[in-house]
Amino acid sequence: MNITIGQYYPVNSKIHKLDPRTKFMAVILFIIDVFIIKSFWGYAAAAVFLAAVVALSKLPVKMLFSGLKNIIIIILFTVCLNMFFTQGEVVFFKWGIIQITDAGVILALRMAVRLILLIVGSSVLTLTTSPIQLTDAIEYMLKPFKKIGVPSHEIAMMMTIALRFIPTLIEELDKIKKAQMARGADFDTGGIIKKAKSLIPLLVPLFVSSFRRADELAMAMEARCYRGDINRTRMNQLRFQRQDFVAAAIIVVLSVVLIFERIFFGF
Amino acid sequence: MEFIKGEKLVYEYTVYDEESQKNIKHKAIDSMNIKIPKGQFVAVLGHNGSGKSTLAKHINALLMPTGGTLWIKGLDTSKEENIWQVRQNAGMVFQNPDNQLIATIVEEDVAFGPENMGIEPEKIRKRVDEAIDSVRMNEYKDSPPHQLSGGQKQRIAIAGILAMKPQCIVLDEPTAMLDPVGRREVIDTVFRLNRQEGITIILITHYMEEAVKADRVIVVEKGKIVMDDIPKKIFREVEKLRRLKLDVPQVTELAYMLKNRGVNISDEILTIEEMGDALLEIGFNENENLKIEDKSCEISDENIIEVRHLTHIYAEETVFEKTALNDVSFSIKKGEFIGLIGHTGSGKSTLIQHLNALAKPSDGDVLLNGENIFADKSKLKTVRQKVGLVFQYPEHQIFETTIYKDVAFGPQNMGLDAKEVDKRVKKALDAVGLGKEYYNKSPFELSGGQKRRVAIAGILAMKPQVLVLDEPTAGLDPYGRDEILNNIKRMHDELKLTVILVSHSMEDISKLADRILVMHKGRLKYFDKPRQIFSRSASLEEIGLSAPQISRLMNYLIDKGIDLDKDIYTVEAAADYILNRLKL
Repeated sequence: MNITIGQYYPVNSKIHKLDPRTKFMAVILFIIDVFIIKSFWGYAAAAVFLAAVVALSKLPVKMLFSGLKNIIIIILFTVCLNMFFTQGEVVFFKWGIIQITDAGVILALRMAVRLILLIVGSSVLTLTTSPIQLTDAIEYMLKPFKKIGVPSHEIAMMMTIALRFIPTLIEELDKIKKAQMARGADFDTGGIIKKAKSLIPLLVPLFVSSFRRADELAMAMEARCYRGDINRTRMNQLRFQRQDFVAAAIIVVLSVVLIFERIFFGF
Repeated sequence: MEFIKGEKLVYEYTVYDEESQKNIKHKAIDSMNIKIPKGQFVAVLGHNGSGKSTLAKHINALLMPTGGTLWIKGLDTSKEENIWQVRQNAGMVFQNPDNQLIATIVEEDVAFGPENMGIEPEKIRKRVDEAIDSVRMNEYKDSPPHQLSGGQKQRIAIAGILAMKPQCIVLDEPTAMLDPVGRREVIDTVFRLNRQEGITIILITHYMEEAVKADRVIVVEKGKIVMDDIPKKIFREVEKLRRLKLDVPQVTELAYMLKNRGVNISDEILTIEEMGDALLEIGFNENENLKIEDKSCEISDENIIEVRHLTHIYAEETVFEKTALNDVSFSIKKGEFIGLIGHTGSGKSTLIQHLNALAKPSDGDVLLNGENIFADKSKLKTVRQKVGLVFQYPEHQIFETTIYKDVAFGPQNMGLDAKEVDKRVKKALDAVGLGKEYYNKSPFELSGGQKRRVAIAGILAMKPQVLVLDEPTAGLDPYGRDEILNNIKRMHDELKLTVILVSHSMEDISKLADRILVMHKGRLKYFDKPRQIFSRSASLEEIGLSAPQISRLMNYLIDKGIDLDKDIYTVEAAADYILNRLKL
């Protein structure tokens, strides 16, 4: 069986090759930028920047938009909310508490653009970075917070094990389902209570097996000298390359420009 | 100095017994003395619960002895400060290949051990490359583990241990969950590591053919070492091994039987070649045309299952498209015992899922009692009741709090009244040999073999006409295996069931099946009586299967110019036949 986790799209591009930490930080900065922007020119700059990144990443544009499809409802909802309930000087339309004003239209458009930029921006991260790299990046970036009790290594280890076992468990669930169907179990008909009840024969074997797996895996890890984060090294070290500094410089410059934009064109 | 040295080892644990409401102490290891020198290949035998896995976990310091001392390379395992050095020196590979791989990429997984040891990144890289190379898995370096076969996963697990540069590897039934091809891959790897790199190997196994190649065999029973010698000296004690719930290779059993009947033959025979040569030395008489009677069985002429041009394609019209079944046609008669054989990926699992409509054909039909099972969707449930399918792992099926309730699940789903359900549950449990005392026990407390019997009872209670069993003996010890097989045979004889038994083991199938169906690459390769199938041992080898040892022995002798009957494939038949033909 072939199960892909996450939405990693493996092609060879300049964006794919960046250190996952660079991409992570860039996305965070970009999100902040999008919230800073006030004027049309600011949005235009952010959009152009994003378009350039997408072009460099060699991702099919179709894929990015299919990501948007899933959250179209949220976008529409936000747009409507802002459009119908914002007070403004020029009122185009009024019916009860619902009104459309100039300020409302502008705010609604701004919200839609913001959301689209945010989602496309973060999709570029998940589409160009494999789950392993993401996990590594999270472990590295959380390291400084270890002193205040953030279990960075443990979080990363949990993510790795989850990624490793999701396909195995999906396969197992399929087998359990078939074994119960062979005993006449019915998962499709009946009301909600009957349906919920019919899940018991699936979930009990799945949980029992998961606990057994957890137990055996823990033992196998101990047998391979695992003792948490103590004295542990990594084979694949994350290292910043020249391209990472270039990328960081670009996103920082963009942010600075956008901050100026807010100060001078903002109000 | 010995690499492993144990003196008066004891491992005691307490279990709470519900009946007597007391804590009862068990000794999994009972004052055991053991010495294993460096570089030795030791096979450890013993039935389930004999204490051999507990011993293995001691060598890796996963368990500490509660009495006595165990030294690994001179390090006392019970001392806290020695643990990491012990674990690095004596690596451990477990039974379930899935539950020991941690990372999402093969290479990262192999690096896990050295990373834990705090080795520098460049050195880890070198070790990982070497380890993957020595298990011959280079081309899978970047694959995710879940896309590998069982044998490949187990080789990666071995590589993960090798990367820690151990002097000893303990393998706890590493081949129990694998098919014959995977088993050979793993065993060949282990032997190569022992012979070429001098790594001490401790192999716990239920497969005697793996043990016969070891330097030394240790038999464990009730936490004690009861036999400890070279394989030849161990396996000549056929009776003693049987009492210990173990078995011997078929040729060894044959030699033992012949010797008991007065033939002057060595009792230290372990391989087909040794047996063949020993028989040739005694010499054969001319062929007097002793004909072997066909196994008589009552089979009606009525077809119960007919499969017509069955084709199944997974993920049709996508990049993942794969033809699992390709134009398969055959029919099975009422009351027949069919053996279904083929290695992983041959399509046998897909095939049996079509027989009870769990999978839908891309093309072709399946007929049950002359009716197309896919014709009427509302009747699918009835089809599944008539063709009972028992999956490989009972753990996938068992979910209730008591055995009784679990077996009742099927008949309840059929909408039967309480009285009828009760009758059927009791009858089904009786048929698999689980009496009243088991009714209210939790199925999760049972042994592997017993769980399997509960799973079979769960299907039997639906009163199927055809019983399909997917590898019911996988992972069981020889005793559990024989128990299940005898049980299935009894059900076939007494309940007049049509049985389809899927198995990797030609030895198992040869004892029971009326006809054997061989699958290869989604096609039906052969469907014939056992003797006809086994006489083609060369072509079976080609597709990764092998005939039973006795068949291969006969073929070996025929190749040496002896005119023998090709049709013999069981030990008993061979003993009778050879006794008549030998020059005595």
